[in-house]
Amino acid sequence: MEDCTVIKTKIYTVSELNQEIKKNLEAGYPDIWVEGEVSNFYFHDRKHMYFDLKDENSKIKVVMFHHSNRNLIFDIEEGLHILINGYISLYEKRGEYQIIALDARPVGKGALILAFEQLKDKLEKKGYFDITHKKSIPLLPGRIGLVTSIGGAVIKDIIQVLKQRFENFHLIVRDVNVQGITSSDEVCEAIDDLCGYGVDVIIIARGGGSLEDLWAFNTEKIARKIFRCPVPVISAIGHQTDYTISDFVADKRAATPSVAGELVILNKKEAVGNLKGMVKRAESLMKSKIRAYKKEIFFLIKRRIFIKPETLLDRFNQNVGDLNVRLKNDIKEYVRAGVEKLVNLYRMMDKKNIIKKIHFYRMAIGNVNTRLFSIMQYYINLKKNEIKYILEKVADKNPVNVLERGFALLYDAERKKNIKSIKEAGINQVVKILLKDGILSAKIFDKIYKKIEPGLKNEN
Amino acid sequence: MKIEEMNFEESIKKLEAIVKELEDENISLEESMEKFEMGIKLSSNCLKKLNEAENKIEELARSEDGKLITKELNLEKEN
Repeated sequence: MEDCTVIKTKIYTVSELNQEIKKNLEAGYPDIWVEGEVSNFYFHDRKHMYFDLKDENSKIKVVMFHHSNRNLIFDIEEGLHILINGYISLYEKRGEYQIIALDARPVGKGALILAFEQLKDKLEKKGYFDITHKKSIPLLPGRIGLVTSIGGAVIKDIIQVLKQRFENFHLIVRDVNVQGITSSDEVCEAIDDLCGYGVDVIIIARGGGSLEDLWAFNTEKIARKIFRCPVPVISAIGHQTDYTISDFVADKRAATPSVAGELVILNKKEAVGNLKGMVKRAESLMKSKIRAYKKEIFFLIKRRIFIKPETLLDRFNQNVGDLNVRLKNDIKEYVRAGVEKLVNLYRMMDKKNIIKKIHFYRMAIGNVNTRLFSIMQYYINLKKNEIKYILEKVADKNPVNVLERGFALLYDAERKKNIKSIKEAGINQVVKILLKDGILSAKIFDKIYKKIEPGLKNEN
Repeated sequence: MKIEEMNFEESIKKLEAIVKELEDENISLEESMEKFEMGIKLSSNCLKKLNEAENKIEELARSEDGKLITKELNLEKEN
């Protein structure tokens, strides 16, 4: 460190160094074109694109910001060979240099063709072209919607074809620009308007042109609009050889606008001819049928039955007899089965249920009774014991019992007062001693104070 | 469905089916009479539908206040 200061070498901070390198890089490569294959493609929030551009030996980081990539008509995707225009810069946070791409174009084929192929592929995968989604075109549409430019020859062609096929058609035209940047939006709006107004079928038509001219009909927006249109759509864009996305999505593709006129409505003369043909065929079928029946009737009339009809009657009579017997038996059996069923039902429904219920309640009542009884028994026993205990206690307190156990009771001479303390008796006083079997008369001749401790035996 | 309520396509399909049914030899006379009668009604319904369509060419546009309006188509105006 000290050496450095001594030799006066400039010391950078990392930020300063990166800033300087960035400045040099941006000045050194301000406008470059580079070609390579896309790898590690990452479309952050569908805004900024991050990817590597590589060849066999080397790769370089590329960023294409939203404002640069939003005008691309094709999708940049993994493995695509592209040519990029931009400048070199340095991402200071990581010290990584990268191309800031401003424009990109495919290598090998035109951007429009690539975009067309990519969209076609994408919509095909989404099922937009599936035959199951195609609505059928009505034979006789009451109102025909037409989206086209009323300035062109296309509309005249279509009207002419319609007039040839069907003199009394109802056509509703919605004028749009079929070319230019607003064209796609205008066509979408026109489809909405015609649906809103109410038509039975919609033709979208324009004459031939280059891929650029027809571009309005190759957008995802138009594809979605046609796909979701509740009314069948005929797409008639360009010549026989021109194919657009709208042709693929539409319910029917007309090779040219004139063909659309043929597809959209039946040929009235043909239809009338066809109808007349069918009626004629029906008439002749009826005629031959009637002829055949006539022949049969003629043949039948000659049969025995018609000559001797009684024979037929005999057989009928017998049959009727048989049937009568069978019918009677059937009815009997039917009624019997019905009655049986009713009886069964009555048995099953009423009795069974009620008896079951009675059983249930009986059981329930029985249970309560037994329980009550045992509880009462318990209390009665409890009370009995209590009473017994109290009686025993009371027995202990009975003085007679005490005398039985060898104790004595002391009274005054008149046996009026129970002497419990020596203080209550005087010397020479006559007292009565009550024992279990009689009374002793005695005289006190001395008093000895002594507290008798419970539990000790009397000393005398 | 009543024949008068059928559209052209339904009518013509039914008529085709009836003609096919009439070709069946096992069908009874009563049934074929009924079918034939229905076929005649269907065909006249079809003819009616073919002729009753309006004969009009209009242009659909938006008025100044944004409402959809129709007017007679004038093809010469842009030329």
